[in-house]
Amino acid sequence: MTQLGDTITAIATARGAAGLAVVRMSGPEALAIADRVFRGTARIGDAPTHTLHHGWAADDALDAPIDAPIDAPMDAPIDAQRIDEVVVAVFRAPRSYTKEDVVEFSCHGGALSAERLLAAMIASGARLAAPGEFTLRAFLNGRIDLAQAEAVADVIAAETNAAHALAVSQLAGALSREIGALGERVADALAEVEARVDFAEDVGGVEVPAHVRAAIADVAAALAAWLAASPYARAIRDGARVPLVGRPNAGKSSLFNALLGEPRAIVTPAPGTTRDRVSEAIELAGMRVTLSDTAGLRETDDAIEAIGVARTHAAIASAAATLWVVDASQPLAPEDHAIAAVLGARPLLVALNKSDRPRRVAPGDVERLLDGGPRAIVAVSALAGDGIDALAAALAALLGAGPHASEDGASSGPATGAIAMAVSNPRHVAALDRARAALLGAASAADGGAPGEIVALELRASLAALGEVTGRSVDADLLDRIFSRFCVGK
Amino acid sequence: MTDAFDVVVVGAGHAGCEAAVACARLGLDTALVTVTLADSAKMSCNPAIGGIAKGHMVREIDALGGVMGLITDRAGIQFKMLNRGRGQAVWSPRAQCDKAGYAAAMSALLDGVAGLTRLAGVVNHVRLERGAVAAIELDDGRRVACRAAVITPGTFLNGLIHIGAAQIAGGRIGEHAARALSECLAELGLERGRLKTGTPPRLHRDSIAWDRATPQPGDDPPRPFSHWTERLDVDQVPCHLTHTNERTHAVIRRNLDRSPLYSGAIRGAGPRYCPSLEDKVVKFPERAAHHVFLEPEGRDVPEIYVNGVSSSMPAEVQLEFVRTIPALEQAEMLRPGYAVEYDFVLPHQLAATLEVRGVPGLFLAGQICGTSGYEEAAAQGLIAGINAAHRVLGRAPFVLRRDQAYLGVLVDDLVTREHREPYRMFTSAAEHRLLLRADNADERLAEIGHALGLVTQEQIERVRAKCAALDAEERRLTRITVAVAADSAAPAPGTPAADGTATAPARRVRALDLLARAGGSWDGLREAGVDCDLPREWADCLEIRVRYRGYIERERETAARAAALEAATLAPALWDSDLKGVSREAREKLVRWRPASVGQASRIAGVSPADIAVLLVHARRAAPDGAARARAGAEAAVVGPSAARAAARSGVTGRA
Ligand SMILES: Nc1nc2c(ncn2[C@@H]2O[C@H](COP(=O)(O)OP(=O)(O)OP(=O)(O)O)[C@@H](O)[C@H]2O)c(=O)[nH]1
Ligand SMILES: [Mg+2]
Repeated sequence: MTQLGDTITAIATARGAAGLAVVRMSGPEALAIADRVFRGTARIGDAPTHTLHHGWAADDALDAPIDAPIDAPMDAPIDAQRIDEVVVAVFRAPRSYTKEDVVEFSCHGGALSAERLLAAMIASGARLAAPGEFTLRAFLNGRIDLAQAEAVADVIAAETNAAHALAVSQLAGALSREIGALGERVADALAEVEARVDFAEDVGGVEVPAHVRAAIADVAAALAAWLAASPYARAIRDGARVPLVGRPNAGKSSLFNALLGEPRAIVTPAPGTTRDRVSEAIELAGMRVTLSDTAGLRETDDAIEAIGVARTHAAIASAAATLWVVDASQPLAPEDHAIAAVLGARPLLVALNKSDRPRRVAPGDVERLLDGGPRAIVAVSALAGDGIDALAAALAALLGAGPHASEDGASSGPATGAIAMAVSNPRHVAALDRARAALLGAASAADGGAPGEIVALELRASLAALGEVTGRSVDADLLDRIFSRFCVGK
Repeated sequence: MTDAFDVVVVGAGHAGCEAAVACARLGLDTALVTVTLADSAKMSCNPAIGGIAKGHMVREIDALGGVMGLITDRAGIQFKMLNRGRGQAVWSPRAQCDKAGYAAAMSALLDGVAGLTRLAGVVNHVRLERGAVAAIELDDGRRVACRAAVITPGTFLNGLIHIGAAQIAGGRIGEHAARALSECLAELGLERGRLKTGTPPRLHRDSIAWDRATPQPGDDPPRPFSHWTERLDVDQVPCHLTHTNERTHAVIRRNLDRSPLYSGAIRGAGPRYCPSLEDKVVKFPERAAHHVFLEPEGRDVPEIYVNGVSSSMPAEVQLEFVRTIPALEQAEMLRPGYAVEYDFVLPHQLAATLEVRGVPGLFLAGQICGTSGYEEAAAQGLIAGINAAHRVLGRAPFVLRRDQAYLGVLVDDLVTREHREPYRMFTSAAEHRLLLRADNADERLAEIGHALGLVTQEQIERVRAKCAALDAEERRLTRITVAVAADSAAPAPGTPAADGTATAPARRVRALDLLARAGGSWDGLREAGVDCDLPREWADCLEIRVRYRGYIERERETAARAAALEAATLAPALWDSDLKGVSREAREKLVRWRPASVGQASRIAGVSPADIAVLLVHARRAAPDGAARARAGAEAAVVGPSAARAAARSGVTGRA
């Protein structure tokens, strides 16, 4: 993001075999540069906004006679110059993605056409865009705010329908609007508190009146509800990792295959079959959940198996949740105690496997090994396929797709349509968390009888944090970080 | 008398006096021109200096080597710390003054300043040569050459007084109006606006039934304004409090058509914060009563200033409503209240040095810049005076940051915001309020004043001694521990620190922590056996520092983050370029205000975060160094001007 006001270009579609590729250009010279590359019945420079034009793209198109008969343009470029047959879309400022003049060339897919077209644009005066630079311009030119700009990246990256819906709603500004409304309420509360500091003689009485405290508590509660919904929202956006762990031979690989619906991992009656981790993604309640089959956890002298066990520990540490597979046809073994200790109080789902056989383990036996109260425990049979759907539903609930996730908007969340309003971006989550912490600080200062200027300080901190989400508070470094997340061409 | 000076200061009000003294003390040959010498530093409105936020500014002026605090200590007849019921961070000193005593003390001080010449006369013109200030001209034709001029005409700039339907040209009742000077500024290309202010009626002391009003005594002992005043020996005079009532308001409503405010005769915008009684009655109809403070204008004069009932109604209406107020039933009016309209120069045309952009050597200060209040005027006078001197001496501009002083907030607000009514200082205008306390003005600013050459060696040594004593005491209190009852926040009585015979159950905490906790105090420490021999004021300073430490640290951090945007400077040439990437709305504003830094730009209404991002790109491109700083996590906490909101919401009417 070094320069403004010049004309940038990039290939906007993914590389590789595809029906179509799009090369996009934005900036004051976009129309002129397009005319240097385009040969068609119309001049792009004369074209009205929001129109499509069919023709040819060519290297050095300028060299071709400009007054060639316009009804026979196809012949104009000689073969060596010819790049591809194209359709050109014209968007004039300010009615475009960037609010600048934008031209999009659609050519045939595959690596070559688009690459040559791009090279021709650059040879004619455009500059190769940096990642995210088109969106940066949309932001800088005031078409979208910061949260919207980030949503653009999310729309592109979305791999499930729910992720896409979430990003699209943020792009429409829903998040910014909601945060703006909360910010207004905080600003009003601040004004009330300030009035009591600056007009002490006139206002007198309490430092922070009850209705202001109520407003502060209200906004804090709204933020808390958003933040509570956010693990799910993040799981929607980023996906979630869930390792299957358990002692050797518990049936992890079998259950993994059953959840995937295909025999992906090797299953044998011998303990210690799985050594290297095998991962595969499934879609669960709109989330992209990456399941990993892991090496059975036990003390081992086998060097290779030991490495596998170490990796399993690492997988547990970084997981959103863990699926513990217990062989319920055998009594709990010392390994199970060790596993329970490793899992500790982490988000956990327990599968009591081999339920087709006489049961030797009751749910209570498992729960006793674990800290942190009751856990979701589901009896399944990987072999017979019993209980797999119930297990999947329990996993979805564990990942947060509980009451918050109802797409009908009947949730207890901060706004109707919890998914639409969920906060998924880690930067937003962090900022909202700070905003909430400052509000709680304000509330406890007010309750503790602290003077108004202390309450005001917390409210200002809260406002600033809210502003960070929408870009109301500007952080130069932050802008770089945000826009470098984009793929080139957006 | 020479007819050539380095600096000429026009107007000897609160702004002009500070400017002239600063220039002269910085070694420049300085002239202070005013119509009547004896009227220098006249308190035209209320007989008080300081108050919330204003008192902070006086302490800052004093710490930088200005004179307002010293004069207040000499002329004060009642001293009071406002906001005492709140946190110490917003404690604000205020003093009732003997008006004549104030003017006399200032005259005596002015006469003793080497290099300062006082001239009587009416200034009509500022003359330029090669685009820069070269001379001023008086109405009698005298021409006084100078290299810089500080213009501080107050309400005299094309002043027009209203009392009912009567209109009199003048800046104060019975005095002239500087009409030619205003025209001269217009000829220099300056855009002007019109503002209004008002003053309440004055009553005769002996006509008031004092026993029907509530006495408001001063503090005992009184605390001096100035850091340099050792002790105040003053026999304090009380003020009194009474209230308006429905009958008062009925008189106002019945006569509204006779108020020039409501008949449309007054065009200028008045202050929202100490409005006329007409305004209060119309705008806050739900309020059944408003405070009325009866303040003596001096120790031995009959005039009583009736704070809270400014009015421009005809005199007979004023007398009628005054007599509805308890204690004032028999009041005799010595002088009716009036409204005065005057010209001001829209301050976006000024740099943060208070120099007019594009007219080297021309400085403005006080009401001419759109402010109200003696303290706001004095603050600008000091800043403008120092910068006028620096202009002549070829020194760097003197600009205070918003996290350094209310003075910095004041000037920055003036040059970055739209002003439709007189600007008055509030603590909520300062986003780093906990750093800008009245108690630490010397810690913040005295070294700066010393470096400027306005704070003497002896004075700075006192400040350094204070800082050292506070630090030492703080260290001492971290070493001492005291026993406290395990279940209570208060120290267990009779468990001195030294002898370790703590009664069980008790535990020991650091004395400093005991002081810092809510409800902690020096008295509490003393009961626990820890004495402190700091003077009381210093002890208060330490207590504030200790109690608010966590918050103060947080404000330092936000200030440090904001500093990056402040450090991203914008070259003036940028405003003449096509400003690629900046929205049209913002472009108009930016070209008008020409902010000197991205931080300043971020405070201009209509400049969006996206525009700020673009400006950062421009700043980065212009100065790779500034770029690095701007990248280091610049963050503008963009908090709306909450003072305006606060006032609008509470419907309150601050006491001037
Ligand atoms: N009866 C029954 N047998 C099962 C069930 N699940 C797995 N098994 C059998 O248990 C044995 C071990 O299965 P795996 O899936 O390889 O077990 P694992 O936990 O992956 O074992 P390691 O990779 O060696 O740690 C195989 O013989 C499976 O057929 C089940 O639900 N019921
Ligand atoms: Mg296996």
